[in-house]
Amino acid sequence: MKEIVNNSEALIEFLKKMIIDTLKLEDITVEEIGDDTPLFREGLGLDSLDALELVVAIEKNFNVIIEDENVGKKAFESISTLAQFIQEEYGE
Amino acid sequence: MQWVETEETVRFNEVDQWGMVWYGHYMAWFEVGRMSLLRRFDLLPKQMVELGYIAPVITLKCDFKHPAACGDLIIIKTTAVKPEIAALTFKFEISLQEQGTLLARGETTQVLLTTDNKMIYRLSGELEKRINNLLDYCQK
Repeated sequence: MKEIVNNSEALIEFLKKMIIDTLKLEDITVEEIGDDTPLFREGLGLDSLDALELVVAIEKNFNVIIEDENVGKKAFESISTLAQFIQEEYGE
Repeated sequence: MQWVETEETVRFNEVDQWGMVWYGHYMAWFEVGRMSLLRRFDLLPKQMVELGYIAPVITLKCDFKHPAACGDLIIIKTTAVKPEIAALTFKFEISLQEQGTLLARGETTQVLLTTDNKMIYRLSGELEKRINNLLDYCQK
């Protein structure tokens, strides 16, 4: 996993797949998710319950903890911000 | 799985024109069952607020199996299950006291917010302790 985290491109790809798998987004493909597409509301249309599921997936995959909505708001802005957040918090 | 049982009597004002309990009242009975369970673990809504949290229901399911009539004695059985996410899920079974006929089976899920409406993603501190006590009891 460390190799993926250190490679932004691979990490972004991994996260897109993780989101689709975790939330069972059957109508969306990895290619359709832009790196800067907002994850919530007008973007991918995720809601706060989806956030709870993603928090669990992120903790399982990266052992990175997102405590609450305050932290989550920034991390979940887009795939890019999520990748950046994980890179900053990974292995600490 | 450990269930907490609460007794109720179907009231006159709870039945519809067909003499059966109106479906919406089952939700009120779920609430009665949930309160009986939460009371044992100091997790009543008021006590949650004292800790700085509220827990709004975001999912409700109910399957209706058999009608109940005015005057029927019913048993509301309630338990809690551990969801993977930071949420509370309760299961309910309502049945006739005498025959044991199952009337309805339901489930609710509640998320946890701070009293200033921020969702929490992980349990911690006193809230975690009380919820774990509840879940340990129900999983016996």
